[in-house]
Amino acid sequence: MRTKLEACQSAVNQVLLGKESQVRLALTCLLARGHLLIEDLPGMGKTTLSHALAKVLGLSFQRIQFTSDLLPGDILGTSVFDKDSGQFVFHPGPIFAELVLADEINRATPKSQSALLEAMEEGQVTIEGATRPLPEPFFVIATQNPVSQGGTFTLPESQLDRFLMRLSLGYPAKAAEKALLLGDSRRSLLPRLEPIFNHSELASIQAEVPKIRASDALIDYVLRLVEATRSQPQFAWGLSPRASLALLAAARAWALLAERDYVIPEDVQAVLPSVVGHRLRERADPSGHGGGALVQWLLREVPAL
Amino acid sequence: MSAPISIPRVSLSWLLVAQVLVIIPHLAHLPVWIIALWLGCAGWRIQIFRMRARYPNAWAKAGLMLGAAVGVFVSRGSLVGLDAGVVLLIAAFILKMLEMHTRRDALVLIFLGFFAVVTAYLFDDSIQLALFSLLPVTTLLAALIGLQQSGLAMRPWPTARLAAGLLVQALPLMLLLFVFFPRLGPLWSLPAPHSKGVTGLSDSMAPADIAELSRSTALAFRASFEGAVPPRDQLYWRALTLERFDGRRWSQASAAQLPLAPAWEKRGEPLRYSIVMQPSSQRWLFGLDVAETTLDQARQMNDFRLQRQQPVERSLLYQVTSWPQALREPAGTATGLRRALQLPATGDPRSRVWAAELKRRYPQPEELVQALLGHFNREPYGYTLRPPQVGVNSIDDFLFETRNGFCAHYAGAMTFVLRAAGIPARVVAGYQGGEYNPSGNYLQVRQFDAHAWVEYWQAGRGWVSVDPTFQVAPERIEQGLEEALADEQSFLESSPFSPLRYRQLGWLNQLRLSWDSLNYGWQRWVLGYQGAQQLETLQRWFGRIDARWIALSLVGGGGLLLSLLALWLFKPWQRERDLQRRLFQRFEQLLARHAVRRAPGEGARAYAERAMQALPEQAQAIRAFAAAYEAQQYAGGDASVVDLRMHLRALRRALPWRFTTGRRE
Repeated sequence: MRTKLEACQSAVNQVLLGKESQVRLALTCLLARGHLLIEDLPGMGKTTLSHALAKVLGLSFQRIQFTSDLLPGDILGTSVFDKDSGQFVFHPGPIFAELVLADEINRATPKSQSALLEAMEEGQVTIEGATRPLPEPFFVIATQNPVSQGGTFTLPESQLDRFLMRLSLGYPAKAAEKALLLGDSRRSLLPRLEPIFNHSELASIQAEVPKIRASDALIDYVLRLVEATRSQPQFAWGLSPRASLALLAAARAWALLAERDYVIPEDVQAVLPSVVGHRLRERADPSGHGGGALVQWLLREVPAL
Repeated sequence: MSAPISIPRVSLSWLLVAQVLVIIPHLAHLPVWIIALWLGCAGWRIQIFRMRARYPNAWAKAGLMLGAAVGVFVSRGSLVGLDAGVVLLIAAFILKMLEMHTRRDALVLIFLGFFAVVTAYLFDDSIQLALFSLLPVTTLLAALIGLQQSGLAMRPWPTARLAAGLLVQALPLMLLLFVFFPRLGPLWSLPAPHSKGVTGLSDSMAPADIAELSRSTALAFRASFEGAVPPRDQLYWRALTLERFDGRRWSQASAAQLPLAPAWEKRGEPLRYSIVMQPSSQRWLFGLDVAETTLDQARQMNDFRLQRQQPVERSLLYQVTSWPQALREPAGTATGLRRALQLPATGDPRSRVWAAELKRRYPQPEELVQALLGHFNREPYGYTLRPPQVGVNSIDDFLFETRNGFCAHYAGAMTFVLRAAGIPARVVAGYQGGEYNPSGNYLQVRQFDAHAWVEYWQAGRGWVSVDPTFQVAPERIEQGLEEALADEQSFLESSPFSPLRYRQLGWLNQLRLSWDSLNYGWQRWVLGYQGAQQLETLQRWFGRIDARWIALSLVGGGGLLLSLLALWLFKPWQRERDLQRRLFQRFEQLLARHAVRRAPGEGARAYAERAMQALPEQAQAIRAFAAAYEAQQYAGGDASVVDLRMHLRALRRALPWRFTTGRRE
């Protein structure tokens, strides 16, 4: 099973060059049953990453391009009158896929955003009075464009909190980009990926994550981190208990990927930037993006032992 | 942790002040060269501080140390013993100040200083010294605070205030310990530092000795009566009896040390009183006739004196009950009476002849004694502290030629005549009278109250005390030595500034008496609060308890307190993890010596990996320790620190030994 996880990562890495750690974090997020927010410029490989992950994990894939005129029905699906049967027939929307890519989520109106976010949180959707379960597993990768904010609806903090992780892919390294330019088109590589996991395997490995041992000493470290965000003056507000749960879950998944059955502080530190970065704001600049510096402070100053 | 190791300025200043204050009480018994050494070293130290001089090098230090040791040996004749030990301690205290370089040296100096403060009590336990010693203790504490708290390093007064505050906070604890802490007997006996210099009665008497004593204003003892103080002419404080006469000196008979209890009958009303005695270096205690004491290790000897097993080397409090009208040895003992008739074979022929004549004229001893006293009263005998010289036949010369002398002359002459007339008699030495202190309601008896009188034995009546001096100079008995010497002006003529000379000045006398009363209270209630008295006080508070109960409850209470403290400090419920943490800290210290320091946010694994890169040769041992630590802390492995210890030891062996600690950069 563990070798399969390795295989997954190397397969994705063949498509998305030079982004090993982001791939690993994305996989971690998925194993921890969390949703992923990728914040980056267009053309950095966000879609490729989502596609590749869906392929190797054997998940059905749907992409929703969020625009300002997107309606909740366009995401969840609508009932259409079938005149043959004389009844309304439900046409499921793109959300009924196992891996959903919500592209440029901040372009849609808050109403449409919340339709997606509620589905993410509940694992089910209620349309016209009927509650329909979403597929299992269900994994959302949303992307945001940090520049050209004109005509966008920024995700409020409460919505951001629903994403387990926020990643940024960044420019590829020079060597990776060279290999990218020399090689085949990425899109042509994608169909060649073979699924490595089937559904039951994925479910069983996801079930293993909570069993990873988090000792008393480690929990103390997590608590020290959370406590620091709540007590230190540079933080606009502290981390919520949902965030500390998320941190622990992500650290467990990371430890699983590292083939360990217990969590060590280094696991927490590895996932810390992506798990808490989008949840923290600097007191001096509550609306800005100070999370990164704060996370670095946490990593540096909070005693790990 | 990388704070400078040097001594802050405030601390140094306080130390210099403290040095002065610590040494002042010792000045009286330090040799002069120590003071010179002290001034020299202090000057040098100040010059070092002003950067005008250098620290002494190893040779200078060795020379100074050797010089000090030789100096102590020369001036005290030894390097051990209390006197020499204290001088040596002070010398060390002075030299360490000069050599002091680092914080650690300063700490050593401060503790030496505390010790030197305590040693001053060996020489003087007065209330003045006790109060004075608060000063050096406060300054030493201030120096200690200045040394520890960098925040106060530049400000002298806050440190002193804090030190004084600490001292005040310690007061309740001090009182508690004072009241409850059991006074343990000394594990070894220290000879008192200056037993040679004590003035007081000795076990032999030539008249000149008493004249010597009467020049001393030193306190002999103080007595507090339950009820009224008896009139002065009944205050004959017996110390010892002198039974052997060699023609010149009266001395104590060797038989007086025999452990024979005398036979006596209690009669009349007893007097109860307590006595606080100054150190005398002698074994006898003082009491009115016939005295019994409750003091342990003290007993009544066969001449009715009280004697202790050990000499009185420090202030002693004891309770006495006296029966002044008791009948003493009405039957007598053959050996005792024979001793009381001893005379030298030859000498003083005129006195012997006169005694024989008296015996013929007054066959009854009682009549003879009365005749003798009448003789002293009628004839022109005089009382003086400057008696004329007497020849070989001292009794003859005194009785028939010079006719001037003081108590010792009269007592000796009368005893001689009585013995020559066949009446058993002996000289009693002790003190007479005493000054009543109205503010404290007690008597203070000084060395110039030393007195000698006579007791003779008569069948059926036992021993009877008579005082020939009373016949000659009744004012000596009724009013004291000063009145007796009023014409002569010889009272305390060698000490013109003694406050006792100015008793006629009312306010001065009042001041003197109040001060003495305070000192007496100090001696009685603070210094005298020992064994039996402590037990008595505690029994008054807590009902019937004994020493074992106190010891048990103290041990029990102390043990409980300490175990609670230990529980709070060590928190055994999280001990295993703490132990692991402590071992990891040792691991860090070990690697820090090799310049691999852990950042606070660095986990064990990341740190170990970094260390492995820095120290590739020891990578194996580092990995082993880190893996074991990780397994125990995070993987829930069997929490046994033995493994960790083993790996740590292996790592220590693998690392090249390096002295520098992690602190210095």
